Amino acid sequence: MICYKCGCRLSEHDFCTGCGADVGLYKRIMFMSNRFYNDGLEKATVRDLSGAIVSLRQSLKFNKNNIEARNLLGLVYFEMGEVVSALGEWVISKNLRPQKNIADDYIGMIQSNQARLDTINQTIKKYNQALLYCYQDSLDLAVIQLKKVLSYNPKYVCAHQLLALLYIMSEEWEKAHRELEKCRQIDTNNTTTLRYLKEVEHMLMPEEAAKGASPKKAVKENVVRYQSGNETIIQPVNMKESRGVSTLLNLGIGVLIGVALACFLILPGQIQNAKADINSQLRVVSEQSDAKTATIDEQEQTIQKLTDEKEQLSEELSKYQGTDGTLKATDGLMMAVSAYLENPEDIETIAAYLEALDEEEEGEEGSQNKTEAFTALYEDLVEDLREKLVTYYYNAGYASYRADDFEGAIPNLTRAYQYDQTNGDALYNLANSYRRSGDNDKAKELYAEVIDQFPGTEKANRSETYLAEINNAE
Amino acid sequence: MIDFEEELKKFHPSLEVEDAEEAIYNQDLTDMADLLIKMLDKTKTEEE
Repeated sequence: MICYKCGCRLSEHDFCTGCGADVGLYKRIMFMSNRFYNDGLEKATVRDLSGAIVSLRQSLKFNKNNIEARNLLGLVYFEMGEVVSALGEWVISKNLRPQKNIADDYIGMIQSNQARLDTINQTIKKYNQALLYCYQDSLDLAVIQLKKVLSYNPKYVCAHQLLALLYIMSEEWEKAHRELEKCRQIDTNNTTTLRYLKEVEHMLMPEEAAKGASPKKAVKENVVRYQSGNETIIQPVNMKESRGVSTLLNLGIGVLIGVALACFLILPGQIQNAKADINSQLRVVSEQSDAKTATIDEQEQTIQKLTDEKEQLSEELSKYQGTDGTLKATDGLMMAVSAYLENPEDIETIAAYLEALDEEEEGEEGSQNKTEAFTALYEDLVEDLREKLVTYYYNAGYASYRADDFEGAIPNLTRAYQYDQTNGDALYNLANSYRRSGDNDKAKELYAEVIDQFPGTEKANRSETYLAEINNAE
Repeated sequence: MIDFEEELKKFHPSLEVEDAEEAIYNQDLTDMADLLIKMLDKTKTEEE
């Protein structure tokens, strides 16, 4: 202890040996402070935290520089979940004695872990929110909020007490009792806790409270009480269960309940699972089917495309076939020319090739695909051989006519007149051949042509005569 | 019987961490020793 005036260490005397100041009263105040500190320490040791707080506060009212008392007060606050109050005491303590102060360690312990500090702050905010809910009559929300607070900070005595109060108001006595028991484990002699506890115990066991101590003994004889965690278990003593028939009956009831559970709880679940499996399989099959359908569509499109290509190629092929026919005609002409070059006098062979060429031309719908070179060569060849061809065909046709072979005469005479339009004899004999073969219409047409092409000739006069005969006969 | 409203009034919002600094500054730290010293000083001044 030091002198408040000069700072000198004080002795057992009531005055300062350094400055002579009267320190009797001052020393008494210091002693009182220490005494309260000791009292607070004693209470804190037996977890009478509320009592410790009162004593330590008293100690600090006498001597604010009692660092031990202040640090202990902070610890007690911290133990009760009042972290900010604890921090406040430790900060003041550190300011009063910056060196060799355990408060420094306490502050460091809290401040070093930012997450923990945040959690503490959140806890306090939630507690305040819960209190606000209580003022607003939102008791359910307040209960939820307080449960969260206590999950973060299980030693928060005020939160336990408030939660217990809410349970009391909702007449949930067991829960209230549980909370108050937790409070009592933290702070054994808290007046509020004890008052609430008394109320709750009165509501839980009214006859016990009314009868006092002796009935309690009677109860104690019939029941066994023990603590399991936070629960108080009350078990009856000397209870004998009936055996035999009742056991069998219980067994039967148990089996029936089991079967009923299987029917009503397990089976629907199994059915549901089976349905889910079937649905999933169906989904898979459906997906596969869709994929195959898509493939089939693709294949059909390919087939259609190939069919179109085939048709296109067929058309091109038919065109080529037309070209091939031209080549064949060219071949026929070449053969005729070849025969002409080989033997110009072999008019029969040349005529045969030209006839074949003419027949092909008639079969291939004219000479539309023939080239200019082909036509020129054909015309040159015919021009060179025209006279010989006319003579050859006329002689052959007339010989057939004379032999009454009109079938043979008609084509030869036709070709003779075709190659030489001035050959009136060929035309006249052709008309006679048609008349004598019975084709009067054609004969009339040709006689008319003879009369028209060769007027004033013997052939025209005879043609007139035959024409008149035919007309008279009709 | 516990009166809920009355009991609720006994509960006060806790100090939040942000408010700690202000609470510390506003705390009245005057103790009995301070009062004694003031009284002694005053007596001495009056005697003089």
